Amino acid sequence: MEITAEFVSAGLKRARYITNERVETAIFLALALEQPLLIEGPAGAGKTEVAKVLAAMLETQLVRLQCYEGLDEARALYEWNYQKQLLRLQAGEHQGQRWEELSHDIFSRDYLLERPLLKAILAPRKVVLLIDEIDKADEEFEAFLLEALAEFQVSVPELGTLRAAERPVVVLTSNRARELSEALRRRCLHLFIDFPGIEQERKIIELKVPDLPERIAAEAARLVNALRKLDLKKAPSIAETLDWTRALVRLGVRELDTAAVRSTIGVLLKHEDDRNRAEGKLATLIGRSR
Amino acid sequence: MTRPLSDLIIEFVAGLRAAGVRISVAESLDAMRAIGVAGLALPRMREALRAALIKDEADSPIFDTLFASYFRGPPHDSDPNPKSRGMRAGVIGGQGGSSAAAPERPASKSAAEKGVQTDPTEQDEPEERSTAPGRASDSGDPGDSSENPVEAGSPEGATAVAGRGFSPEHHDDRDHHGPDAALANLRRIESVPFASYSPLEYDLARDALAILRRRWQTRLGRRLRRARRGRLDFRRTIRASLQHGGLPLERHFRARRPRHLDLVVLADISGSVHYASLLILELLAGAAREFRRMRGFVFIDRLAAADFERGHLVMTPHLDMYARSDFGRVFGEIASAHPDILNRATVMVILGVGRNNKRPPRTDILQTIASRCRAVVWLNPEPPERWGTGDSAIESYRRVVDFLLPCGSLRELQASLVNII
Repeated sequence: MEITAEFVSAGLKRARYITNERVETAIFLALALEQPLLIEGPAGAGKTEVAKVLAAMLETQLVRLQCYEGLDEARALYEWNYQKQLLRLQAGEHQGQRWEELSHDIFSRDYLLERPLLKAILAPRKVVLLIDEIDKADEEFEAFLLEALAEFQVSVPELGTLRAAERPVVVLTSNRARELSEALRRRCLHLFIDFPGIEQERKIIELKVPDLPERIAAEAARLVNALRKLDLKKAPSIAETLDWTRALVRLGVRELDTAAVRSTIGVLLKHEDDRNRAEGKLATLIGRSR
Repeated sequence: MTRPLSDLIIEFVAGLRAAGVRISVAESLDAMRAIGVAGLALPRMREALRAALIKDEADSPIFDTLFASYFRGPPHDSDPNPKSRGMRAGVIGGQGGSSAAAPERPASKSAAEKGVQTDPTEQDEPEERSTAPGRASDSGDPGDSSENPVEAGSPEGATAVAGRGFSPEHHDDRDHHGPDAALANLRRIESVPFASYSPLEYDLARDALAILRRRWQTRLGRRLRRARRGRLDFRRTIRASLQHGGLPLERHFRARRPRHLDLVVLADISGSVHYASLLILELLAGAAREFRRMRGFVFIDRLAAADFERGHLVMTPHLDMYARSDFGRVFGEIASAHPDILNRATVMVILGVGRNNKRPPRTDILQTIASRCRAVVWLNPEPPERWGTGDSAIESYRRVVDFLLPCGSLRELQASLVNII
């Protein structure tokens, strides 16, 4: 399949991902230039979603590597299945097998636990590799990742070098919990995804929650947007907006008034402080979003 | 105009570099390749260049401004309405004023204070996002408007700009740049020495502090939590292996003993280092949850307990702000009045220039304190070349503290804090 800008644009539409020129171009370039795409932006703005949509668009598998503190090569790349090897050794002992045969056996692919990176490299066809929240991983891991992303090949001492048949499409996401290294930034295309504007969010709501009356959808989009302006611990994400509007539909809300918002605000704001802060200004915000 | 496009792009990259954006040679090559596949339709070319060249959202406004000045020529841009851009900019420029009037928004306030310098760059962005439809008219590619789902809604978007002017959408979208504005703000303020701060700069720095606080919190948290899984616990592993007929299938590790740290901050708030101390106190207070206990003290010639309430320093008792710093006396006070908080888990951070106004420095008391604490860190806002000159007693203090680090500006402070942890 040939990658064209039109293909990307149509694919995003098909995957029901509402977006703008910037996101489209960045995705298109990542596919066309086969470069990793580093996506930054606030939590809940739809960074991870890009990778999922890409997988749907290319009709392929999504391999996800969730980063966390202390993530190491063994968890990201591969690990020998230690338990299985031990059992094999025991069984071999009973059958009187010699060490040469045994060692050849226990260091074969059957005893290799494939972690996400290796899985993406060994996949028979092009997959989408999502390296989620890379900022949570340690700097050492980042350095290791650089090497892996450059070559897409892995040397396992016992097996030799394993090379990717098809370069995976790589998407990295970061919440900027720490600054990523310059080297990593240099090698990636960069995309910043912010929360959508009101108009865009209204479209998202209408697309994903079609049962909500149009007028309420517009008001909801404006209200959520206004809430994000408050100095909150955690601004409501797009997913939370959608949950909230779904809740409004389930409750049969016909009018977005203070009572309706107050009874459902827990879906949007998950911190007590945030709720208190928002509730004080609720009447003004609702009045303004009309 | 017959210059090759590559020349123009090289110039453009040079322009970005000159404006302080770091771009490597590899990245400029990436930019060429990106344009090669993305084509020359203006909005797409702009986004392609952005994806390849701009790796930090804080640089995005610079990119937009420069892009507009480099690539506006008619050869690739069939903009039928060249004035539309300026007109819209005017509308949004007006809102800059209106958002400055809203007091509860620090990001927009700071943007307004930066004034002329940032406005033209920032207005480009929101305009583009909220009225991405409006852009369709800029593009030379007619296919765009029908294919892009956002742009499909262009008519309403356009009326929103033209008709309502101060519409809430625009007001709001502009504020979307809060974090970026704060980042750009941080860049500008971080190398300004504390000593030359005016109240205005102090406000800017406080806005930027939110970012620093987050970074510092994360770093510190990581440092304190690192290596939860320690060495192999041989005995537990063997014991667990009994269940599997002696095969050590489950490995157990000895957990590290949790470290509890108490932080004691001692900040000089006399005139010369006032701003530095307030900022640093606030920064450290942000990381309070990483410590078991945190106590803050401020002093000039006496000691007072310090607390932050809603961003304002509260001290008890109130200090005489016109007094002169007396480190020796303050060390005596803390050692005699609060012996309980100085123990093996205590990390003491002292902020001050160590200029004792010729009073006894009482290095001996500081030495006793240091011997009781886990560590004593001295952050000195004075430039290192002035340490030890005049009435400075810092050289004698240097001998008894564990770390003496410069923190003349936000940047130095960051570097020093990283050094400590």
